[in-house]
Amino acid sequence: MKSRALLAMALTLSSLLGGCLGGNLRPLQGLNLQLARGGTSHSPALSGNWLALITGREGREQVQMVNLSSSAPVPLLGLNRPDAQPLSVTVDQRGERLALVRQREGRTELVLYRRSLQNLQAIPMEPAGVPRRVQLSADGRVLAVEVSRGGQWQVDLLTLP
Amino acid sequence: MSVQPHSSSRYRWAGLATLLSTSLWLWGCGTPWELRRQPAAPLGIGQEARQDPALSGDGRLLASVVERGGRSTVILQERSSGKVLPLHHLRRQQPHSSPSLSWNGRYLALVVQQGPQRQAVIEDRANGQLHPLLLPAGREPQRLSLAPDARRVVLEVLDNGQSRVEVFDLSGLLEPDQAPGQPVSGGGGLTR
Repeated sequence: MKSRALLAMALTLSSLLGGCLGGNLRPLQGLNLQLARGGTSHSPALSGNWLALITGREGREQVQMVNLSSSAPVPLLGLNRPDAQPLSVTVDQRGERLALVRQREGRTELVLYRRSLQNLQAIPMEPAGVPRRVQLSADGRVLAVEVSRGGQWQVDLLTLP
Repeated sequence: MSVQPHSSSRYRWAGLATLLSTSLWLWGCGTPWELRRQPAAPLGIGQEARQDPALSGDGRLLASVVERGGRSTVILQERSSGKVLPLHHLRRQQPHSSPSLSWNGRYLALVVQQGPQRQAVIEDRANGQLHPLLLPAGREPQRLSLAPDARRVVLEVLDNGQSRVEVFDLSGLLEPDQAPGQPVSGGGGLTR
Protein backbone atom coordinates (compact mmCIF):
# COMPACT_ATOMS: atom_id res chain seq x y z
CA MET A 1 0.00 0.00 0.00
CA LYS A 2 2.85 2.32 0.94
CA SER A 3 4.64 1.72 -2.34
CA ARG A 4 1.40 2.36 -4.27
CA ALA A 5 0.89 5.63 -2.41
CA LEU A 6 4.46 6.61 -3.22
CA LEU A 7 3.92 5.68 -6.87
CA ALA A 8 0.73 7.72 -7.00
CA MET A 9 2.51 10.69 -5.41
CA ALA A 10 5.46 10.38 -7.80
CA LEU A 11 3.12 10.11 -10.75
CA THR A 12 1.15 13.16 -9.67
CA LEU A 13 4.34 15.20 -9.26
CA SER A 14 5.83 13.99 -12.52
CA SER A 15 2.53 14.57 -14.29
CA LEU A 16 2.51 18.13 -13.03
CA LEU A 17 6.13 18.53 -14.11
CA GLY A 18 5.33 16.84 -17.40
CA GLY A 19 2.56 19.32 -17.96
CA CYS A 20 4.93 22.20 -17.35
CA LEU A 21 7.80 20.74 -19.36
CA GLY A 22 5.66 19.68 -22.24
CA GLY A 23 4.08 23.09 -22.76
CA ASN A 24 0.62 22.28 -24.03
CA LEU A 25 0.96 18.55 -23.35
CA ARG A 26 -1.46 18.01 -20.47
CA PRO A 27 -1.60 14.63 -18.70
CA LEU A 28 -5.01 13.13 -17.95
CA GLN A 29 -4.06 12.71 -14.32
CA GLY A 30 -7.05 10.79 -13.02
CA LEU A 31 -6.84 8.23 -15.79
CA ASN A 32 -3.05 7.98 -15.55
CA LEU A 33 -3.21 7.36 -11.80
CA GLN A 34 -5.82 4.68 -12.36
CA LEU A 35 -3.64 3.02 -15.00
CA ALA A 36 -0.58 3.20 -12.73
CA ARG A 37 -2.47 1.48 -9.92
CA GLY A 38 -3.31 -1.36 -12.30
CA GLY A 39 0.30 -2.53 -12.59
CA THR A 40 2.55 -2.45 -15.63
CA SER A 41 1.06 -1.54 -19.00
CA HIS A 42 2.29 -1.39 -22.57
CA SER A 43 1.36 -1.47 -26.27
CA PRO A 44 -1.32 1.25 -26.06
CA ALA A 45 -3.73 2.09 -28.90
CA LEU A 46 -6.04 5.10 -28.99
CA SER A 47 -9.07 5.43 -31.24
CA GLY A 48 -12.18 7.52 -30.80
CA ASN A 49 -13.18 7.35 -27.19
CA TRP A 50 -11.26 4.16 -26.49
CA LEU A 51 -7.88 3.18 -25.14
CA ALA A 52 -6.81 -0.43 -25.64
CA LEU A 53 -3.67 -1.64 -23.91
CA ILE A 54 -1.97 -4.65 -22.39
CA THR A 55 -1.76 -4.66 -18.63
CA GLY A 56 0.22 -6.96 -16.37
CA ARG A 57 -0.11 -7.93 -12.77
CA GLU A 58 1.51 -10.80 -10.87
CA GLY A 59 3.07 -12.16 -14.03
CA ARG A 60 -0.14 -12.35 -16.04
CA GLU A 61 -0.90 -10.03 -18.91
CA GLN A 62 -4.25 -9.29 -20.49
CA VAL A 63 -5.92 -6.91 -22.90
CA GLN A 64 -7.85 -4.09 -21.32
CA MET A 65 -10.02 -1.40 -22.90
CA VAL A 66 -10.93 1.87 -21.22
CA ASN A 67 -13.74 4.27 -22.11
CA LEU A 68 -11.99 7.64 -22.02
CA SER A 69 -15.20 9.55 -21.24
CA SER A 70 -15.75 7.74 -17.98
CA SER A 71 -12.23 6.30 -17.39
CA ALA A 72 -14.07 3.02 -16.81
CA PRO A 73 -12.79 -0.35 -18.03
CA VAL A 74 -14.97 -2.00 -20.66
CA PRO A 75 -15.74 -5.74 -20.47
CA LEU A 76 -14.14 -7.81 -23.22
CA LEU A 77 -15.92 -11.10 -22.67
CA GLY A 78 -14.22 -14.05 -24.30
CA LEU A 79 -11.13 -12.14 -25.42
CA ASN A 80 -8.63 -12.81 -22.64
CA ARG A 81 -7.52 -16.37 -21.91
CA PRO A 82 -5.34 -17.56 -19.04
CA ASP A 83 -3.21 -19.57 -21.47
CA ALA A 84 -2.59 -16.69 -23.90
CA GLN A 85 0.04 -13.96 -23.82
CA PRO A 86 -1.06 -10.79 -25.68
CA LEU A 87 1.66 -9.00 -27.66
CA SER A 88 -0.10 -6.22 -29.56
CA VAL A 89 -3.62 -4.79 -29.61
CA THR A 90 -5.53 -2.22 -31.66
CA VAL A 91 -9.09 -0.87 -31.69
CA ASP A 92 -11.30 0.99 -34.16
CA GLN A 93 -12.93 4.31 -33.30
CA ARG A 94 -16.31 2.75 -32.48
CA GLY A 95 -14.69 0.45 -29.96
CA GLU A 96 -16.36 -2.42 -31.80
CA ARG A 97 -13.45 -4.16 -33.53
CA LEU A 98 -10.24 -5.09 -31.79
CA ALA A 99 -7.35 -6.94 -33.40
CA LEU A 100 -4.85 -8.77 -31.27
CA VAL A 101 -1.59 -10.64 -31.71
CA ARG A 102 -1.10 -13.24 -29.01
CA GLN A 103 0.95 -16.29 -28.17
CA ARG A 104 -0.92 -19.44 -27.28
CA GLU A 105 0.19 -23.03 -27.10
CA GLY A 106 3.56 -22.11 -28.53
CA ARG A 107 2.09 -20.36 -31.58
CA THR A 108 1.71 -16.68 -32.39
CA GLU A 109 -1.71 -15.86 -33.82
CA LEU A 110 -3.69 -12.89 -35.08
CA VAL A 111 -7.31 -12.67 -33.98
CA LEU A 112 -10.13 -10.23 -34.66
CA TYR A 113 -12.66 -9.58 -31.89
CA ARG A 114 -16.11 -8.08 -32.41
CA ARG A 115 -17.19 -6.66 -29.07
CA SER A 116 -20.96 -6.51 -29.61
CA LEU A 117 -20.97 -10.19 -30.60
CA GLN A 118 -18.23 -11.25 -28.17
CA ASN A 119 -16.91 -13.10 -31.17
CA LEU A 120 -13.29 -14.04 -31.80
CA GLN A 121 -12.05 -14.94 -35.28
CA ALA A 122 -8.56 -16.24 -36.01
CA ILE A 123 -6.95 -14.70 -39.09
CA PRO A 124 -4.35 -17.00 -40.65
CA MET A 125 -1.22 -15.48 -42.17
CA GLU A 126 -1.05 -16.17 -45.91
CA PRO A 127 1.65 -16.87 -46.99
CA ALA A 128 2.64 -18.34 -43.63
CA GLY A 129 4.37 -15.94 -41.28
CA VAL A 130 4.60 -14.87 -37.67
CA PRO A 131 2.65 -11.70 -36.82
CA ARG A 132 4.10 -9.29 -34.27
CA ARG A 133 2.34 -5.92 -34.34
CA VAL A 134 -1.06 -4.94 -35.62
CA GLN A 135 -2.87 -1.67 -36.31
CA LEU A 136 -6.45 -1.11 -37.40
CA SER A 137 -7.50 2.01 -39.29
CA ALA A 138 -9.89 4.08 -37.17
CA ASP A 139 -12.73 3.34 -39.59
CA GLY A 140 -12.16 -0.35 -38.88
CA ARG A 141 -11.82 -1.29 -42.55
CA VAL A 142 -8.10 -1.93 -42.99
CA LEU A 143 -5.76 -3.94 -40.81
CA ALA A 144 -1.98 -3.49 -41.08
CA VAL A 145 0.05 -6.41 -39.74
CA GLU A 146 3.79 -6.60 -39.20
CA VAL A 147 4.78 -10.16 -40.13
CA SER A 148 8.07 -12.07 -40.04
CA ARG A 149 8.55 -14.21 -43.17
CA GLY A 150 11.72 -16.00 -44.09
CA GLY A 151 13.73 -13.90 -41.66
CA GLN A 152 12.42 -10.57 -43.01
CA TRP A 153 9.87 -8.18 -41.55
CA GLN A 154 7.03 -7.37 -43.90
CA VAL A 155 3.74 -5.48 -43.71
CA ASP A 156 0.48 -7.11 -44.80
CA LEU A 157 -2.66 -5.06 -45.39
CA LEU A 158 -6.02 -6.77 -44.96
CA THR A 159 -9.30 -5.21 -46.01
CA LEU A 160 -12.02 -6.25 -43.60
CA PRO A 161 -15.63 -6.89 -44.62
CA MET B 1 -54.49 -32.84 -31.98
CA SER B 2 -53.75 -30.10 -29.64
CA VAL B 3 -50.04 -30.91 -30.06
CA GLN B 4 -50.00 -30.04 -33.75
CA PRO B 5 -50.00 -26.20 -33.50
CA HIS B 6 -47.50 -26.34 -30.69
CA SER B 7 -45.25 -28.61 -32.75
CA SER B 8 -45.63 -26.38 -35.80
CA SER B 9 -44.80 -23.34 -33.73
CA ARG B 10 -41.81 -25.18 -32.34
CA TYR B 11 -40.59 -25.96 -35.89
CA ARG B 12 -41.09 -22.34 -36.86
CA TRP B 13 -39.00 -21.22 -33.89
CA ALA B 14 -36.36 -23.83 -34.67
CA GLY B 15 -36.26 -22.62 -38.28
CA LEU B 16 -35.99 -19.03 -37.16
CA ALA B 17 -33.22 -19.89 -34.71
CA THR B 18 -31.32 -21.78 -37.41
CA LEU B 19 -31.69 -18.86 -39.82
CA LEU B 20 -30.61 -16.40 -37.15
CA SER B 21 -27.61 -18.43 -36.04
CA THR B 22 -26.56 -19.00 -39.67
CA SER B 23 -26.72 -15.29 -40.40
CA LEU B 24 -24.86 -14.52 -37.20
CA TRP B 25 -22.24 -17.09 -38.16
CA LEU B 26 -21.92 -15.68 -41.64
CA TRP B 27 -21.65 -12.12 -40.36
CA GLY B 28 -19.96 -12.51 -37.02
CA CYS B 29 -17.84 -15.60 -37.39
CA GLY B 30 -16.92 -14.72 -40.95
CA THR B 31 -14.40 -17.03 -42.44
CA PRO B 32 -10.95 -15.77 -43.41
CA TRP B 33 -11.72 -15.79 -47.15
CA GLU B 34 -13.90 -12.75 -46.59
CA LEU B 35 -10.70 -10.78 -46.02
CA ARG B 36 -9.00 -9.12 -48.96
CA ARG B 37 -5.24 -9.31 -48.68
CA GLN B 38 -2.82 -6.86 -50.17
CA PRO B 39 0.92 -6.52 -49.62
CA ALA B 40 2.05 -3.07 -48.56
CA ALA B 41 2.70 -0.82 -51.55
CA PRO B 42 6.18 -1.40 -52.96
CA LEU B 43 8.83 1.26 -52.58
CA GLY B 44 10.35 0.57 -55.98
CA ILE B 45 13.52 -0.92 -54.50
CA GLY B 46 12.59 -4.56 -54.55
CA GLN B 47 11.48 -6.49 -51.53
CA GLU B 48 12.51 -4.23 -48.69
CA ALA B 49 12.06 -5.09 -45.03
CA ARG B 50 9.57 -2.88 -43.22
CA GLN B 51 8.16 -2.72 -39.72
CA ASP B 52 5.86 -0.74 -37.45
CA PRO B 53 2.90 -0.15 -39.81
CA ALA B 54 0.45 2.66 -39.02
CA LEU B 55 -2.62 3.63 -41.04
CA SER B 56 -4.35 6.98 -41.17
CA GLY B 57 -7.86 6.90 -39.72
CA ASP B 58 -9.41 6.60 -43.17
CA GLY B 59 -6.89 3.95 -44.22
CA ARG B 60 -5.65 6.09 -47.13
CA LEU B 61 -2.07 6.54 -45.90
CA LEU B 62 0.43 4.06 -44.52
CA ALA B 63 3.47 4.97 -42.42
CA SER B 64 6.08 2.30 -41.83
CA VAL B 65 9.71 2.00 -40.79
CA VAL B 66 12.34 0.87 -43.33
CA GLU B 67 16.12 0.73 -43.29
CA ARG B 68 17.81 3.69 -45.00
CA GLY B 69 21.60 3.63 -44.92
CA GLY B 70 21.46 1.23 -41.99
CA ARG B 71 19.15 3.50 -40.02
CA SER B 72 15.50 2.84 -39.18
CA THR B 73 13.58 5.58 -40.98
CA VAL B 74 9.86 6.28 -41.20
CA ILE B 75 8.29 6.69 -44.63
CA LEU B 76 4.79 7.80 -45.51
CA GLN B 77 2.96 6.43 -48.53
CA GLU B 78 -0.40 6.52 -50.24
CA ARG B 79 -1.77 3.04 -49.75
CA SER B 80 -3.37 2.75 -53.17
CA SER B 81 -0.47 3.98 -55.34
CA GLY B 82 2.59 3.51 -53.15
CA LYS B 83 3.56 7.14 -53.77
CA VAL B 84 5.98 8.32 -51.08
CA LEU B 85 4.96 11.60 -49.45
CA PRO B 86 7.50 14.13 -48.13
CA LEU B 87 8.27 14.48 -44.42
CA HIS B 88 10.08 17.70 -43.63
CA HIS B 89 11.65 17.16 -40.22
CA LEU B 90 12.42 13.49 -40.14
CA ARG B 91 15.45 13.05 -42.37
CA ARG B 92 17.60 12.83 -39.25
CA GLN B 93 16.93 11.81 -35.64
CA GLN B 94 17.02 8.09 -36.45
CA PRO B 95 16.24 5.49 -35.37
CA HIS B 96 12.55 6.23 -35.87
CA SER B 97 9.91 3.98 -34.34
CA SER B 98 6.23 3.66 -33.50
CA PRO B 99 4.66 5.98 -36.11
CA SER B 100 1.01 6.91 -35.68
CA LEU B 101 -1.22 8.95 -38.01
CA SER B 102 -4.26 11.14 -37.49
CA TRP B 103 -7.51 10.65 -39.42
CA ASN B 104 -6.54 12.42 -42.68
CA GLY B 105 -2.82 12.01 -42.15
CA ARG B 106 -2.24 15.65 -41.29
CA TYR B 107 -0.26 14.63 -38.18
CA LEU B 108 2.42 11.97 -37.91
CA ALA B 109 3.53 11.16 -34.36
CA LEU B 110 6.53 8.94 -33.72
CA VAL B 111 9.47 8.27 -31.42
CA VAL B 112 12.84 9.62 -32.59
CA GLN B 113 16.38 9.85 -31.23
CA GLN B 114 17.20 13.25 -29.76
CA GLY B 115 20.86 13.21 -28.71
CA PRO B 116 21.24 10.44 -26.15
CA GLN B 117 17.51 10.16 -25.51
CA ARG B 118 14.37 8.89 -27.16
CA GLN B 119 11.75 11.57 -27.70
CA ALA B 120 8.15 11.62 -28.92
CA VAL B 121 7.42 14.21 -31.63
CA ILE B 122 4.51 15.13 -33.89
CA GLU B 123 5.02 16.49 -37.40
CA ASP B 124 2.22 18.69 -38.70
CA ARG B 125 2.24 18.07 -42.45
CA ALA B 126 -0.10 20.98 -43.10
CA ASN B 127 2.25 23.69 -41.84
CA GLY B 128 5.60 21.90 -41.50
CA GLN B 129 5.83 22.36 -37.72
CA LEU B 130 7.46 19.78 -35.48
CA HIS B 131 6.06 19.49 -31.95
CA PRO B 132 8.31 17.76 -29.41
CA LEU B 133 6.38 16.04 -26.60
CA LEU B 134 8.62 16.64 -23.62
CA LEU B 135 8.57 14.32 -20.62
CA PRO B 136 10.23 14.77 -17.24
CA ALA B 137 13.83 13.58 -16.97
CA GLY B 138 14.19 9.86 -16.43
CA ARG B 139 11.12 8.91 -18.44
CA GLU B 140 11.69 7.73 -21.97
CA PRO B 141 8.95 7.10 -24.52
CA GLN B 142 9.00 3.61 -26.02
CA ARG B 143 5.85 3.58 -28.13
CA LEU B 144 2.93 5.90 -28.78
CA SER B 145 -0.51 6.12 -30.35
CA LEU B 146 -2.12 9.33 -31.59
CA ALA B 147 -5.91 9.56 -31.44
CA PRO B 148 -7.32 9.84 -34.99
CA ASP B 149 -8.74 13.30 -34.23
CA ALA B 150 -5.36 14.34 -32.72
CA ARG B 151 -6.98 15.46 -29.47
CA ARG B 152 -5.01 12.98 -27.36
CA VAL B 153 -1.84 10.96 -27.46
CA VAL B 154 -0.92 7.94 -25.37
CA LEU B 155 2.70 7.18 -24.57
CA GLU B 156 4.28 4.00 -23.31
CA VAL B 157 7.11 5.20 -21.09
CA LEU B 158 9.88 3.48 -19.22
CA ASP B 159 10.13 4.81 -15.70
CA ASN B 160 12.76 3.20 -13.47
CA GLY B 161 12.70 0.14 -15.69
CA GLN B 162 8.93 -0.25 -15.47
CA SER B 163 6.71 0.07 -18.50
CA ARG B 164 3.69 2.33 -18.06
CA VAL B 165 1.04 3.90 -20.27
CA GLU B 166 0.09 7.57 -19.90
CA VAL B 167 -2.51 9.60 -21.78
CA PHE B 168 -2.09 13.29 -22.64
CA ASP B 169 -4.49 15.93 -23.90
CA LEU B 170 -3.29 17.71 -27.06
CA SER B 171 -6.22 20.07 -27.53
CA GLY B 172 -4.10 23.08 -26.55
CA LEU B 173 -1.33 22.09 -28.95
CA LEU B 174 -2.91 20.80 -32.17
CA GLU B 175 -5.91 21.62 -34.29
CA PRO B 176 -8.14 18.57 -34.62
CA ASP B 177 -7.93 16.38 -37.71
CA GLN B 178 -11.49 15.15 -37.98
CA ALA B 179 -13.13 12.61 -40.20
CA PRO B 180 -15.23 14.21 -42.97
CA GLY B 181 -18.69 15.03 -41.68
CA GLN B 182 -17.49 15.56 -38.13
CA PRO B 183 -17.85 19.03 -36.61
CA VAL B 184 -14.64 20.96 -37.21
CA SER B 185 -13.31 23.51 -34.78
CA GLY B 186 -10.24 24.62 -36.67
CA GLY B 187 -8.16 23.33 -39.58
CA GLY B 188 -7.66 19.69 -40.21
CA GLY B 189 -7.95 18.16 -43.63
CA LEU B 190 -4.96 17.66 -45.85
CA THR B 191 -5.26 16.72 -49.46
CA ARG B 192 -1.59 16.20 -50.24
